[in-house]
Amino acid sequence: MDREKEGRGGVGVLERVREETEQLRERLKEELEELKQDLKEPQRTQLWKSIFRVPHERTTPRNRTLAVLANVFLHLHPARVNRDAVRYSYTWGMGGISFYLFIVLTFTGVLLMFYYHPTKVQAFRDILYLEHDVPFGRLLRNMHRWAAHLMVITVWLHMFRVVLTGSYKRPREFNWCVGVILLVLTLLLSFTGYLLPDDQLGFWAVTVGTNMARATPLIGHEGPFGPQLGMTPYNDVRFALLGGSIVDSNALLRAYIWHCIALPLMAAIFMGVHFWRVRKDGGISGPAPVMLESEMKPVRKL
Amino acid sequence: MKTSPPAAVEREAPAVEQTAESSSLTETVNKLRRRLVWTSVWGFLATNFLMFLRFFFPRALFEPSPVFRIGYPSDFSLGVDTRFQDQYRIWVVRTTDRLFVIYARCTHLGCTPLWSPSENKFKCPCHGSGYDMEGINFEGPAPRPMDRAKVELDAEGQIVVDVSRLYTYKEFNEPGAYIPV
Amino acid sequence: MDWYQLWQIISAPDNVPIVGLLVIVPFYTWYGLRQARANDRLIQELEANPELAKTHHRKTFPYRPGWPTEVHVWPYLLRIEFLAAIIVTALLMVWSLTIDAPLEEPANPNLTPNPSKAPWYFVGLQEMLVYFDPWFAGVVLPTLIIIGLMAFPYVDANPLGNGYYTWRQRTVAIGSFLVGFYLWIALIIVGTLMRGPGWMLFWPGQTWDHTRLVYEVNRNLPDIFGITSEWGKGIFGFFAVVLFYAVAGLGIHKLVTRSPLNRKIYERTSLIQYLVFQFFAITILVGLPAKILLRLLFRIKYVWITPWFNI
Repeated sequence: MDREKEGRGGVGVLERVREETEQLRERLKEELEELKQDLKEPQRTQLWKSIFRVPHERTTPRNRTLAVLANVFLHLHPARVNRDAVRYSYTWGMGGISFYLFIVLTFTGVLLMFYYHPTKVQAFRDILYLEHDVPFGRLLRNMHRWAAHLMVITVWLHMFRVVLTGSYKRPREFNWCVGVILLVLTLLLSFTGYLLPDDQLGFWAVTVGTNMARATPLIGHEGPFGPQLGMTPYNDVRFALLGGSIVDSNALLRAYIWHCIALPLMAAIFMGVHFWRVRKDGGISGPAPVMLESEMKPVRKL
Repeated sequence: MKTSPPAAVEREAPAVEQTAESSSLTETVNKLRRRLVWTSVWGFLATNFLMFLRFFFPRALFEPSPVFRIGYPSDFSLGVDTRFQDQYRIWVVRTTDRLFVIYARCTHLGCTPLWSPSENKFKCPCHGSGYDMEGINFEGPAPRPMDRAKVELDAEGQIVVDVSRLYTYKEFNEPGAYIPV
Repeated sequence: MDWYQLWQIISAPDNVPIVGLLVIVPFYTWYGLRQARANDRLIQELEANPELAKTHHRKTFPYRPGWPTEVHVWPYLLRIEFLAAIIVTALLMVWSLTIDAPLEEPANPNLTPNPSKAPWYFVGLQEMLVYFDPWFAGVVLPTLIIIGLMAFPYVDANPLGNGYYTWRQRTVAIGSFLVGFYLWIALIIVGTLMRGPGWMLFWPGQTWDHTRLVYEVNRNLPDIFGITSEWGKGIFGFFAVVLFYAVAGLGIHKLVTRSPLNRKIYERTSLIQYLVFQFFAITILVGLPAKILLRLLFRIKYVWITPWFNI
């Protein structure tokens, strides 16, 4: 056969071309079939597997576990929880809701930053600009403000629930303290944000607040023992907060940086500690089986 | 209550107990609910994404007006006039038959060239592009002549310049690109 | 009854959370105490029947032996979290679409609005400024509150109630927290709904009259007793405060040792735990209301006057 092909010279070339075209067509058909298969079942492609490392059908226990443990956003959770802990009546969900609101506030806050200049000349006008000339600017500002108020409420309710369920007891005392710090940070975030529109409401709220700072004992120029230690309006703690002796452009810029960078960073760090400790202390505290008075163990001497 | 079968797949009693339904009925309900939830979720996210994009385009701008007056044609003598370079970024050029306004932006990468009367050329300090007195490039990396701003005369006869409408070299002969003098 | 005045206060956009609080706090208190009641009933049953206590699974939630004690986070916890996120987002969206955030006139350092109020979560502090000097109400008390909160778990020597709602087993802890919590909320409500121009007291529904004259004159405790010398005032005030701490401490002691269980817990409490608890309870939970009542009922401003500070 081959000798015949070789002998025919030019005709052999034609044969080869026809063969190659046939092979190409075959391959094309195969690849098209594979493509159709891939589109029908994307989970089998390497593209999918490289992104989603674990199978996504959720019905086997292994997959349900992996769905949580292998996911960067969800692996905050354990694989399983106390069967009664999923009841709303136990936790009220306030901790999780507070975290969710923090994320909403960060997202809306960053968007608001695109249109805000933290200067005395522009701050107020930027808020007007946002409300009238920026599409969805009014909605965004409203969302940011109301989410902030809602977050203060949910944080208080979370604290209330933790007290009612005794979830601050051993071994969770430290986490409770971290929670108190987070509460203070939430209030400070609210307070610094309040000044940023530079309207009468914010300006006087901050004036009242920082005037209380000047009354701090020892480090305020109007507090007990302050003047005796050399405190004046130009070097006391209020001066440090405002960057000056009056609530003016320096105060605005400082409030802006505290509000957008320093306090959120601190809050993020403390939230990391707070969530870490929840897991390390054994997860959500309950609902735990009730303990009877007769079962109290004697006090351990330290 | 559900007893654990010895089979490999473990079935759990969910926290919320479900009433017994025939499997096919459960499946149909589940599919509809599933589709409804997913459509709502994607719909919500898509709407928000569109809102997010639209958010970045404000409806009103507070920039200096691109339209301004520079005086009467009689104020300008033959040649290149640089009196408005610092204020408006333009040169006023008067030739024998035309008066036009060059927008002082080098067509290479956007720097502001300098007029050199001694050498009778515009020279860009950034990469050395050179233009003649009419803004036509002849040396350096500039790919084309400098653009000209729209000019017209108002009712009083003053020249009104509009730098938001620039004419490229192909359009230099269009009516708005120059004022006949 | 000036309904319009009342409406103006309630409908101010920044006051919406307080109106919400008036509903939310009683609801969640009831919600938690409802479970506490159920648990307390179970505890009573188990204590009456030791045999039952050995075999019962110890919770008020439905359970049969053989049920798995844990459920997978996916889907059972995460779907609830997803639902919570949806509800919160929906609530936030509706709120944001209907009520606009306030924006008053541009800041004018030369014109103070009357009344000039802090944001609602700080209005409680602002209200305290009526009864204490700024350094105390604005710095010392908030600091004490924060430290007191942090000390809460460490002074609580009661091992019961760790992870479930109960009232009967934890009256002291829950009681003292509720007192503090409601005191804080009461201050916020007074500051928001009952303080008008000049920070004068107006009942809800009373028209805010900027020109109303205040006739009452405040007096100081040492003056009532006729002490005029500086040293006299200082020493008198000191002893008044010491007497107050002693009486309040005794009262609190009686309260926390009332029931047999409380006494058992008291025995487990170390001295330092007890003293720290007493200090914060007296200073904040008793001292603050006492000072408020002294001012509102007897027009007494300062109890302790020294050349450096007044309380």
